[in-house]
Amino acid sequence: MAASATTHGGSGGQNYGRLFVILWIGISVVATPLTTIVLGRNIPPGNGSTEATSQVLDNQVLLAVSTPIAVFVLLFLGFALTVFRARGPELVDGPPVRGDSRIQILWLVVTTTTVLFLAAFGTFELFDAAGAGAGQGPSPAFLPDKHASALDVQVIAQQWEFTYRYPGSGGVETPHLVLPAHTLIRLHVTSLDVVHSFWAYELGVKADANPGTDNVVYVTTNGPRSFHIRCAELCGLWHGYMFDTGRVVPAAQFASWTTAQQATFKPVQQYLPPYATTYLPDPQRRAG
Amino acid sequence: MTDEFVPPRKRTGWRRLLGYNLLTALILAVVGYYVGWIAGHHVTGKSVAYFSDIDQNDISVFLAYILAVIGFLLGLGFGAYPFARVRGYPPSLREKESEGIGRYFSLCTDHKVVGIQYLFGIGVFFFIGGVNAMLIRFELLRPSMQAFPAGQYLTLVGLHGTMMMGIMSSAILGPFANYVVPLMIGARRMAFPRIESLTFWILMAAGTVLATTVFFGGFPTGWTGYQPLNDQANAGMDSYIVFFALVGISMTLLGLNMIATIVTMRAPGLTWSRLPIFCWGVLSTAILNLLAAPVLVAVLGMAMLDRTAQTSFFLPSAGGSPYLYENLFWVFGHPEVYILALPGMGIVLELLPVFARKPLWGYRLAVSGLLGVTLLSWLVWQHHLFVSGINSDLRPFYMLSTELISIPTGFTFLCGLMTLWRGQIRYTVPLLFCLAWFFNFLIGGLSGVFLSDVPSDTTTHGSFFSMAHFHYTIMGGLVFAFFAAIYFWVPKMFGLQLNERLGKIHFWTMFISFNSTFAPLFVIGFLDQPRRAVTYAPSLQFLNDWVSISAFVLGASMLVFVGNLVYSLLFVRLPAPANPWDSRSLEWQLPSPVPVHNFDRIPVIAGDPYDYGSAAPPVAVVPAGGVS
Amino acid sequence: MSEVTANESAYEIVESEPAELLGRNLGSAGHLLASATAFFFLAFVFAYFYLRSLNNAGMWRPNHVHPSITLGTIVTALVAAAALVVRLGLADQRVGRRVQCRTKGAIALALGVAAVVLQIVEWESIDFGPASGGYASVFFGWTAALMLFLLGTIYWLETLLATAYRYRNVPHNNPPPGEASGDRYRTGHDIIEPLSLVTPGLEALTFYWSFLAGITVLAWVVLYLL
Repeated sequence: MAASATTHGGSGGQNYGRLFVILWIGISVVATPLTTIVLGRNIPPGNGSTEATSQVLDNQVLLAVSTPIAVFVLLFLGFALTVFRARGPELVDGPPVRGDSRIQILWLVVTTTTVLFLAAFGTFELFDAAGAGAGQGPSPAFLPDKHASALDVQVIAQQWEFTYRYPGSGGVETPHLVLPAHTLIRLHVTSLDVVHSFWAYELGVKADANPGTDNVVYVTTNGPRSFHIRCAELCGLWHGYMFDTGRVVPAAQFASWTTAQQATFKPVQQYLPPYATTYLPDPQRRAG
Repeated sequence: MTDEFVPPRKRTGWRRLLGYNLLTALILAVVGYYVGWIAGHHVTGKSVAYFSDIDQNDISVFLAYILAVIGFLLGLGFGAYPFARVRGYPPSLREKESEGIGRYFSLCTDHKVVGIQYLFGIGVFFFIGGVNAMLIRFELLRPSMQAFPAGQYLTLVGLHGTMMMGIMSSAILGPFANYVVPLMIGARRMAFPRIESLTFWILMAAGTVLATTVFFGGFPTGWTGYQPLNDQANAGMDSYIVFFALVGISMTLLGLNMIATIVTMRAPGLTWSRLPIFCWGVLSTAILNLLAAPVLVAVLGMAMLDRTAQTSFFLPSAGGSPYLYENLFWVFGHPEVYILALPGMGIVLELLPVFARKPLWGYRLAVSGLLGVTLLSWLVWQHHLFVSGINSDLRPFYMLSTELISIPTGFTFLCGLMTLWRGQIRYTVPLLFCLAWFFNFLIGGLSGVFLSDVPSDTTTHGSFFSMAHFHYTIMGGLVFAFFAAIYFWVPKMFGLQLNERLGKIHFWTMFISFNSTFAPLFVIGFLDQPRRAVTYAPSLQFLNDWVSISAFVLGASMLVFVGNLVYSLLFVRLPAPANPWDSRSLEWQLPSPVPVHNFDRIPVIAGDPYDYGSAAPPVAVVPAGGVS
Repeated sequence: MSEVTANESAYEIVESEPAELLGRNLGSAGHLLASATAFFFLAFVFAYFYLRSLNNAGMWRPNHVHPSITLGTIVTALVAAAALVVRLGLADQRVGRRVQCRTKGAIALALGVAAVVLQIVEWESIDFGPASGGYASVFFGWTAALMLFLLGTIYWLETLLATAYRYRNVPHNNPPPGEASGDRYRTGHDIIEPLSLVTPGLEALTFYWSFLAGITVLAWVVLYLL
């Protein structure tokens, strides 16, 4: 057994504690703005839409809250491992401290406050950004102010491509996603076969496409730009190739584009089912 | 009452191959497989056009797999006991007395043998899963498809994920809880030794079943097996379903056995407040095992019915719903995540006092942390469905509950860190792995907050960010704790020392390459690379190549470990002292390796195992005279 | 060598355990198994109400989908009656009326088997199939799973009955040598009195069977009445 089991190593725990707290606060005060500004400035998903902008803010806040926590644990490990390492070959026991209720209560209060703050902030952002770009299902709980006047665009996923229908333009179905700038848009995401996920990266939109389900997302576009679209839910063989590029264009250009699309796809329009929120084909069990 | 032990007549020559052993088991498995195969075709008949493709007859494949597993278990001798009970004979516990290397390849009811069986059995499948990961990273060296066809790539992804999630669920409960818990609680056996062995052999059968998916064309769904892709997929999917259902059964029984053991088999004096923290970690994991795994079995049973009996649980066009699968899967799946995390916490908290030479700081807080995670893990599953299009009303609740879980997790951090404070820290290999656990789990936990927050989750969900997150918690948490446990307990299990220098080389290469592999994946995920896609944006090639090369180094670090194991256990064979770490825990007061019956007399426990800094003798007192 | 153990130890000394340990193990196992079973069937309860509330494509329950309520009620009644008989048998066992206990056990066994047979008859005679929508899926899945659990419970009862029957003539005596199960190499027993297994086994079984009967009744209410 231990050579001198009762010898208590280490001394001056109070002083070490004070030193550690000072170090922690000092480093956090420097590190938090640094990570928040340096990392946070470029943090995705960018400013393609108001939803994306709110996600950027969210990510920055989370980063700001995470930094002192990370500093605390890493500094603690580094501090303890250098200061309290065993010196010399003989086995010495540390002080038999079994706990300190003040530290426990303090820890509980601090972590709970942090968590509640984060949850409250996330909930606020969820309401504020009208669902924050996440698919909300057929009856959205988080509505933007002028949701009644939103432009409806349908996203239809199937193995392994996205097509888009514009009910406001005669239900025309095209393989291209073009959206007007500075407009509130209501995306209806659905699928014809398996579960896909419509991820418009720069717009901060992600919504699973489920067969038989109308998954609604609200997004308010910012200025004209192009954006990446990827399928974010494993959907079978060519999942890796299910990507696309969409465009946000000025409103006038959007109007002329839809007119042109209607003309282009007029020959096939008659074969399409009428516009609906969901399309359920016959049970097809082994399409792939 | 006389009890004569009549040693078995030694079989000679080829007769040695007879009897219950692995060979018989494999033969019966093959027989069962073909019986099931033929029966399946007989049941469906050629008249049904749907089943005319002989390789895609799901009924046939399921029957073949199920009968193969039953044959395998019968060949190992799992039929003998139930059959004896049917005829009214009472149980015997003598099976654990078998000798020699053969017992590691047979039904053995000695919990120490089962622990070692688990260690190597899990090691084999961990290796297979790891090789899959290497192949995945090889494919991702280039942004477009290069080495594997799309279908093969998805099979690799699915095999890697499913193998790791399924087999590694028992990575700590299997080898270490089975081996150590009875020693820690002063018992001679687990509560149900045959079930204990059964869980191991079911798991081995399951892993083999999953590996055979390649003969049926693999499966395209990844480890989550989302519907209706699952219903749509070819017969390789059946392997996935059988595998996971078997894993679920194994996990349920393992959990049941662990709880029963810890509740009923504790030595006198071992009150709940003296129970080693590792046992609490095992207990909370076992509770999740017991309750979550049956949900998995049920949902996979539904998937099986969908694929064979043509029910429509998950087909929306026929009255089903994919959301049913997603909900039920994650009702299992989120506790499953904590099944992977909790034993790691238990191990870290168990080992820190030994190497800091201090009592565990805040024992009650640590226990309540473990139990709090156990409870809360049931209330968070819908955060996997934040973008799924499920009704959004409950999102704030699931965001809150998910973030609340970081409070009990924080308890384990506080207790672990404060145990180090003012300790006399000795830098042994197990301690290094424990410290790395803190580092990795910190990053895993903080990134988890991003995923629990709906606005952040919108971008990170289903991307490499979430993939990096759960690799930080599972690989960085579970696997690092797993290695800590190996380096800590192998001297007890084999009575041999592991080489410390090689251990440190293993640690540092693994730790550095692990972080170099997974930290860039957070960035990659933020930059819009989705999971499980064979292609990615060419601009991300540099980061992906960096990750791939780091992953190869990570794979190589595992070879250092295997080399250490082979070198130390087969060639050097340096005997380990009974208590090389000077631990005060009960299992270290036994000789190494531990004798078959563990304790001559059941000890009376006089204190908790963390009484460092006191001059009292360690934990246990042997009752004077008599037999307990 | 450490003080709490030695390498050489006689098997008889170290492994003979008090019979109540097995009883405690079985008791806790019965409760744990019941909790696992509860969560297993929770999946089906959830599936029922979830699919029913969604009614996707109007295919939850087409008009012709109606299982035979007569057969369903009889099956449920049989399972519940068997649970009751097992409970009565346990009461007999506790006061030492072992013959009555065995009889009741046999009756319960017969009731259980009859329930399984009738359930199969119902599946065979029903006028819809598993492919007839959401309700049909849940109906077949749930009843099939229930029958699997019931068969397992029947097996458990059978082992207890067989033990009670085999040692019916050795009231407080050792069984003849060589009858230890699972072990071909020894003559004695770990359990000195096999009959001591029956009471704790029956206690655990009684709890579990009552629990399963509860699930059967729940299934009956949900699948036939709602």
